[in-house]
Amino acid sequence: MQQSLPVERHTPDVSAALPVLRLLNPGRHTRIVLASLLFALTISALAVYLRWLPLWVATALVLLLMLPAGILKWRDDKAAYGATVMLLSILVSAQGLHTVEHFAQYTQYHTLYWTMRASNGLLSPANAEWVHFAWNWSILAAVLLLMRGGVRGVWVWLLLIVAGLHTIEHTYTFVRYQLVLAELRGLGVANIPAQGLPGIVGRDGWLARSEWTRNTWVCGLPGLTTAVRLDVHFWWNAIEMALILATAHVYLRRTPPFGKPATRAA
Amino acid sequence: MKRTQISAAVGAVAVLVLLLWWSRPTSPAAAIRAAERPATPVSVRLSAASAAADTPACTGVFVTHRLDFTTGTRVREIGTYLSNGAGVAANDLDGDGDLDLVFASVDGAGTILWNEGSLQFQPQELDDRFTRAVAVVDVDGDGNLDILFTHRTLEPISFWRNTGQGTAADERFVRAPLVGVDGYAYAMAWGDLDGDGDLDLVTGSYAAELKQYGIAAPAEDARAGLAWYEQRDGDFVRRLLDPQAETLSLALVDLDGDGHSEIWAANDFALRDQVWQRQGDGWKLLAPFAATAHSAMSTDWGDLANDGRLALFSTDMNPYDISPQTLAKWLPMMNEMGEHREANDPQVMANVLLLREDASAGAGVWQDEATARGVSASGWSWAGRFGDLDNDGLLDLYIANGMIAQDLFGYLPNQELVEENQAFRNRGGGSFAPAPTWQLGSTASGRGLVMADLDNDGDLDIVVNNLRNSAQLFENRLCGGRGLEVTLQWPAAANRFAIGAILLLHTDRGVQRRDVRASGGYLSGDPVRLHFGLPPAATLQRLEILWPDGATSQVDDLSAGAQLIVTREQ
Repeated sequence: MQQSLPVERHTPDVSAALPVLRLLNPGRHTRIVLASLLFALTISALAVYLRWLPLWVATALVLLLMLPAGILKWRDDKAAYGATVMLLSILVSAQGLHTVEHFAQYTQYHTLYWTMRASNGLLSPANAEWVHFAWNWSILAAVLLLMRGGVRGVWVWLLLIVAGLHTIEHTYTFVRYQLVLAELRGLGVANIPAQGLPGIVGRDGWLARSEWTRNTWVCGLPGLTTAVRLDVHFWWNAIEMALILATAHVYLRRTPPFGKPATRAA
Repeated sequence: MKRTQISAAVGAVAVLVLLLWWSRPTSPAAAIRAAERPATPVSVRLSAASAAADTPACTGVFVTHRLDFTTGTRVREIGTYLSNGAGVAANDLDGDGDLDLVFASVDGAGTILWNEGSLQFQPQELDDRFTRAVAVVDVDGDGNLDILFTHRTLEPISFWRNTGQGTAADERFVRAPLVGVDGYAYAMAWGDLDGDGDLDLVTGSYAAELKQYGIAAPAEDARAGLAWYEQRDGDFVRRLLDPQAETLSLALVDLDGDGHSEIWAANDFALRDQVWQRQGDGWKLLAPFAATAHSAMSTDWGDLANDGRLALFSTDMNPYDISPQTLAKWLPMMNEMGEHREANDPQVMANVLLLREDASAGAGVWQDEATARGVSASGWSWAGRFGDLDNDGLLDLYIANGMIAQDLFGYLPNQELVEENQAFRNRGGGSFAPAPTWQLGSTASGRGLVMADLDNDGDLDIVVNNLRNSAQLFENRLCGGRGLEVTLQWPAAANRFAIGAILLLHTDRGVQRRDVRASGGYLSGDPVRLHFGLPPAATLQRLEILWPDGATSQVDDLSAGAQLIVTREQ
C-alpha cells in the first residue's frame, strides 16, 4: 500500500501582500459592523422610500449608526498598533467613504445624465461648501499628524502636497461662497444655494479666467481649465485616495505586525 | 550592402516623401479652393467709390454717439422674450456712397437712419411694427438693396422693395409680397443655396416665443421650424428642414471648403445647434462640432490668424468676471433656469470658438478653443462679431451684452442685469485680450450690432441696437492702420452683390479672408462693402475673389485706403 505524502498547500497571504486590507479588517467587531450596516441601511432605505427623510439625511444617518462600530474598531487599532496606525485606519476608511460620494456624483452626471444641480451624490446636498471645507482641512491635519507620528516617504509627501492644494482649492471656494452669500443678502435675495461655484481649477475657475494662463500650455492640460467642478473634485479625491493607500501600504509594510504574514488562528 | 536592402531603403524613403507630400500644409487659397467645381477665371472691372473722408482726430478710443432711435421704451415692463431685442443692418440704400442704417424695433416701427455724411443721420420710419431681425439685401436682383424684417409676432417676413427712386423712405421703399414666404421667422439668412444664381432664404422660428402666442406645440405647426425657401422666378418654395427650432441666429458658411455654404442654425435652450449640408437636391444633417453654445445667441466666423484656418464663434450666457458681486447677480436667475442633460450632448453654457483640428479644409472635428483663446465668457451676450477694429490686419471681437426681464431679474434694480459690452483685441495667432482702453464698454443693454465704415474714413465703426436705451454709434478713432474696402458687383446675375463670395486679400502679413453676407451675428445685416485692415507697413499683393458660382478673379491694382468697386464682367 502506497503511503501518500502530506501535501503542503501554498495559499497566497493577501493580507500580507496588501496590509491595508488587514488594517481595515474589523476583526472581532465584524459582527457588530455588519449588523450596524444592515440596520442603518434598512432604516435609511425605508425612510427614503417612505419620503420621511431626504437622501442626504438618510446617508448621514447611516454614517451615524455605523460610527459606534467604527469607534470600537479604531480603539482596538490604537491598543494593538498605536495612535499612528489608528489614524491611518480612520483616514483610509473616511476618505474611502468620501470617494464613494464623489463616485456617486460622477455616476449621476456621466452615466445617468442628471443635471449638474441634481448630481449631488449622497450627502452633498447638506452643504457642499461647508462639508468640503471642513473635510479637507481635517484630511490635511490628519496627514500632518501622520507625518508627526513617523510616517515618511515620497508617498506621504505627495499626499501632503495634493491634500494641501485641495484644501487651498476648497478654502478659495468657501471664502467666495461666503462673499457671494453676503452679496445676495445685499440684493435682498435669500435661500439661494450658492454652492458649487467654480474654484481655482476647472471650467470658469480662476486659472481659466486668468490672463496669465491664456493661450499657454496650462490651457492645453486636459481638464485644467475646462473640466466641470464635479469632475475636478472627483479627480482631486481619486488622486488623494490613491496617495493615501500608497502611503498606508508603504508604512504598514514596514510596521510590525503588518509586514509579516498573519498568524493563523489556532 | 545587399541589393534588397538598398531597394528597401529607397522604397521607405519614397513612401516617406509621399506621406510628407500628402500631409503638406495647403495655402489658405488652396484650402478654400478645394472645391469640386472648376475654378473658371473671370475678368473684372475696377472703379473707385467715393473718395475716403479725412481721418478724424485720433484719440485712440471709440467715441460714443447717441442715435435717434430707441426700442423697448413703449412698453411698461419687459419680460422674456421681448427682452431679446432687435437687430440693425447697414448698407448703402440710396447709392450715395454712405452706408445707411436700418433698425428693427420690438415695440415700434422699423426705422431707416439715412446717412447724410459726417455721421449725421436722418430718421425715417417704415410702416412696419414689432420687428425682430433685419437684413438689407437685393432680393429681386434689380440692383437696389431691399429691406426685410422678421417679426416678434406671428407675422411672416416683410419685404420692402427698393424702387431705386425718390429719397424719402416712403417713396423709395414699397411694401411688396414675398410670395411663398409664410412661415414664422425669428432669424433669417440669405444666400444662393441651390447655385441657380438667385438668392434663397433660410429662416428659423423661435418656439419659446411662439408658445407665448398660444401655439402650444410649435413643432406641430406647419409654419414653424427651420426652413429654407428656394427662390424660383421671384417666388419662393418652402422646404422644411426640421420642425423644431429655437433659432436665434443663422449662418451660411462654407465649413468644408467645397465651395458650397452649409446652414448653421444656432438654437437657444437645450435644442442642439444644427449644421445642414447640401446634398443633391436635399440637405443632410451633420454633427461636426465637438462643442456648441447651450443657449446660442449669435454666430460669426473668420480667419483669426490669416493662416487659412476658419474659426466659428457663438455667444452664450456666462458671467464675464467671476467676482462675487457679478456672480450674485446671476445666481438667483440661474437657479430658476431649467437644466437639461442627455448623452453625448455637446452643449456648454459658454461662448464657443470652434477651430478644426486639422487646418486643411474638410478634415477633422471642430474643437472648442474659446477658453484657451480668452473668449469663453463675455456676460449675457447677444451679438458677437469679428471685425478688424484697429486696422492691424487681424480680426478683433466685439460683443453686445445685457439683459432686461422682469420675470428673470425681478430682484435687480429696474429688472436689469447691467453689463458692459466687451471688446477683445486679437493679439495675433487668434487669441484675444480684453481691450477696455477702446472705451467700448457701453452698459446700454445691447442686442443686435453691425460693424461698418459709416464715415468713410477707412476703419470700422460699430452700431448697436440697444434695448430700452437709445441706439449707439461708436465712432472709430483708433487710427491703428489703414483700411481697404471692397464692394463686389455682378450685374449679369440675380445675386447682384455676390452674396456668398469669398475674398482673399494677400499681403506680406498673411491672407485675410472676408465673406460677402447679407445677414450676420444676431438679428442683424452686414453691408456688402467689405473691410480689410492693414497695418502701416503691410504690403498689398493681390485680391483673390471666389465668386458664388465657383469662378475666380484676381485684382492686382490695390492701394491702402481705397474703396474699390469690383464689377464682374461675365
